[in-house]
Amino acid sequence: MSTPQTLRIGLAGNPNCGKTTIFNALTGSHQKVGNYAGVTVDKKEGHCAWKGIECIIYDLPGTYSLTAYSIDEVIARDFIIHEKPDIIIDVIDATNIERNLNLCLQFQEIGIPVVGALNIVDQAEWMGIFVNEKILGELLGIPIVKTIGIKGKGLDALLDAVFDRMKRATTPDRFITYGYELETEVNRLEGVIKKDPVFSSLYPVRWMCIKLLENDKNAFEKIKTHLKGDRVKKEAEESIARIEGHFGRDAGVVVTEQRYAYVHGAVTEAVTRTDKKNKSLSEKIDTVLINRILGLPLFLLILWCIFQITFTVGQIPMQWLEVLFAAMADGVHAWLPPGVLQSLLADGIIGGVGGVLSFVPLIVILFVLLSFLEDSGYMARAAFITDKYLHIFGLHGQSFLPMVIGFGCSVPAVMAARTLKNPKDRILTVIVIPLMSCGAKLPVHVLLAAAFFPKNAGNVVMSMYLIGVGLALSSAFVFRRTVLRGEATPFVMELPPYRMPTVRGIGWHVWDKTSQYLKKAGTILLAASILIWAITTFPKPHDNPVRYQKEAMIFQSTLATSGLSLTAQDSLIGHHIQTLKNSDAISASIAGRAGAVIEPVVRPLGFDWKLGVAVITGFAAKEVVVATLGVLYKVDNTAHGENETLRHALRSDPSFSPLIAFVLMLFMLIVAPCFAALSTIKAEIGWKWLWFEIVFTCSLAWGLCFLVYQTGKILGIGA
Amino acid sequence: MNIADLKNGETFTVCQVMIRGEVGKRLADMGFTRGVAGTVIRSALFGDPLQVNILNYNVSLRKSEARGVEVLSIDTQGTL
Repeated sequence: MSTPQTLRIGLAGNPNCGKTTIFNALTGSHQKVGNYAGVTVDKKEGHCAWKGIECIIYDLPGTYSLTAYSIDEVIARDFIIHEKPDIIIDVIDATNIERNLNLCLQFQEIGIPVVGALNIVDQAEWMGIFVNEKILGELLGIPIVKTIGIKGKGLDALLDAVFDRMKRATTPDRFITYGYELETEVNRLEGVIKKDPVFSSLYPVRWMCIKLLENDKNAFEKIKTHLKGDRVKKEAEESIARIEGHFGRDAGVVVTEQRYAYVHGAVTEAVTRTDKKNKSLSEKIDTVLINRILGLPLFLLILWCIFQITFTVGQIPMQWLEVLFAAMADGVHAWLPPGVLQSLLADGIIGGVGGVLSFVPLIVILFVLLSFLEDSGYMARAAFITDKYLHIFGLHGQSFLPMVIGFGCSVPAVMAARTLKNPKDRILTVIVIPLMSCGAKLPVHVLLAAAFFPKNAGNVVMSMYLIGVGLALSSAFVFRRTVLRGEATPFVMELPPYRMPTVRGIGWHVWDKTSQYLKKAGTILLAASILIWAITTFPKPHDNPVRYQKEAMIFQSTLATSGLSLTAQDSLIGHHIQTLKNSDAISASIAGRAGAVIEPVVRPLGFDWKLGVAVITGFAAKEVVVATLGVLYKVDNTAHGENETLRHALRSDPSFSPLIAFVLMLFMLIVAPCFAALSTIKAEIGWKWLWFEIVFTCSLAWGLCFLVYQTGKILGIGA
Repeated sequence: MNIADLKNGETFTVCQVMIRGEVGKRLADMGFTRGVAGTVIRSALFGDPLQVNILNYNVSLRKSEARGVEVLSIDTQGTL
């Protein structure tokens, strides 16, 4: 596939081995990012030229091994097997050489030439670890070059070694032998697999055999395409049984032990360690940050700070944007004659997309802070501190942070769940996030609590947050034992050394998240805003001037004794008629009719058609419910003190009651999240789980609200 | 004895990984293999999970996973 003029290099290595700094140093700003097909793992590639030859460098996900354990590992190995880069640069962290070499041997096994970049050698020597890279390279059978990625040292020598190795591209790397028992089984399986020439040309045969012996799920899946798939499967299972009988342990563990034995042998020859035991800064920081007693309070403090900064500082630019979009809408009102086009632009597009875009400052600030924690290495510590509590409910230590962000907004929260590498953990976390009461639900809670529970408003709002957390944890508990059942996810997680995050690194994360959000705002959310606008606008009500004249006269007669000036009276009448028209427009529209249609469905929850409409418009954004109620209760939104009058209007509606208000809050808390959140969920975990989410939240909302309302009615509470 | 039996600060050498399947494989990949020495650094608030130093890096394990790694404790004199 590649011409002699371009060289395709796969850059691989353990997480935290300094791979990204080497990638940046080699490629500079010549980078582009995409996604691996069907998964949300970034696919980064960059270019560089060396001695007149163009190199494309693919930054593979950082992994500890090449098992089928996580998406990252499967992606890294599938990339190498299917895309066949010309050569692999394996970055080896010198401070942690054994574990890094365990991965290096696995790359060699695939059969593509490997060059080792022995990185972070300065830190290793400070710790008293001295590596003779010549001897190590000879023992492993690959060229190894010392590098210091953050200082850009050794990169020229690395590229020289790569080109030197390419001159002998046809000679394969040496690979390790696993001892008599394992090699016998490998040879036997090789014989069977080679009977299918097509399969043997697609996959490296020896590598496939070893993966089968490791009982690798993904390899067993791939073997199904073999001509004699059943036979290979049977033979492999027999081999595994023989190995486990002989060693008395899991076959996968046996293979890894053999690799480590080989690594230990090489390291004994090539590495000298002095007794110089420098206590690293990381260890000192950890004695405070993950201290048995202080760890949890400190974590909660950090979390509180993130929240405060995001939602207080973020409020300021968010208001600027809101003002800007309001001005744009006013501009449209002024420029265009009243009509469908004006309404579509001002109310539909600017109102809808603008509402979504005003969240951008929040997302930027939140992800600056989170990326700082992530890149510094604290995130792994946060998982360490919280794992015990979340594990009880079937969640993972790393679920904590995304769930807390969910109190702010589900969109960044769902994106933040990417740190969870196990797909089941990630799906579970994403599914329960919308139950965490988000910032947009707060105005709804506040309005209803203030109107119907004036003495306990704070407590009622607080109860919504607690109910949300309770439901999130208990649904996680249930799903973990039903639809997302599986082997407990291991918590074998590295606590990497603390590192100072770079501006470039943080900028990259923030841009990545923000651009995805913006892309969504421009596409799916634009469409959704137009749809919502259309169903609340069409069909238009019949013009009924006689009725409005009558209403105006009635209203005027009530004002006659008020002693107001005539102009003030006229203005009040104008307002009154306008809100009346708005209300008529809503009830004539598709949304209004839908409200009437779904009334039988929401009736058992105590809701009438007006609340039905409010609930429907809530899918655009939860805070829209407040605006909808404003329109339906004929309260002019633009008037000053709108909430006071709306509260009064709600209270004086005889079909409303504190019980219904509580049930409505509960319903809004649980029911399917807004379009923005739903489209993010779709992007992160796919259509199937999106539908699961919608069905789950809607049925839980209805079921629970039904129980609460009916019980409340029978007991006569809050009627 | 296994890693979960050890006290904070105690040093050990690995005998073998007893857990089967993915978890066992992962433990082995992270370096819990025969003859490797390590130290239990600390545990979180209620004794779970554990922080273990092995092969010059730190890794966290739940007690349920730590129980699957058979080890020998090395006392301060360095004898088994």
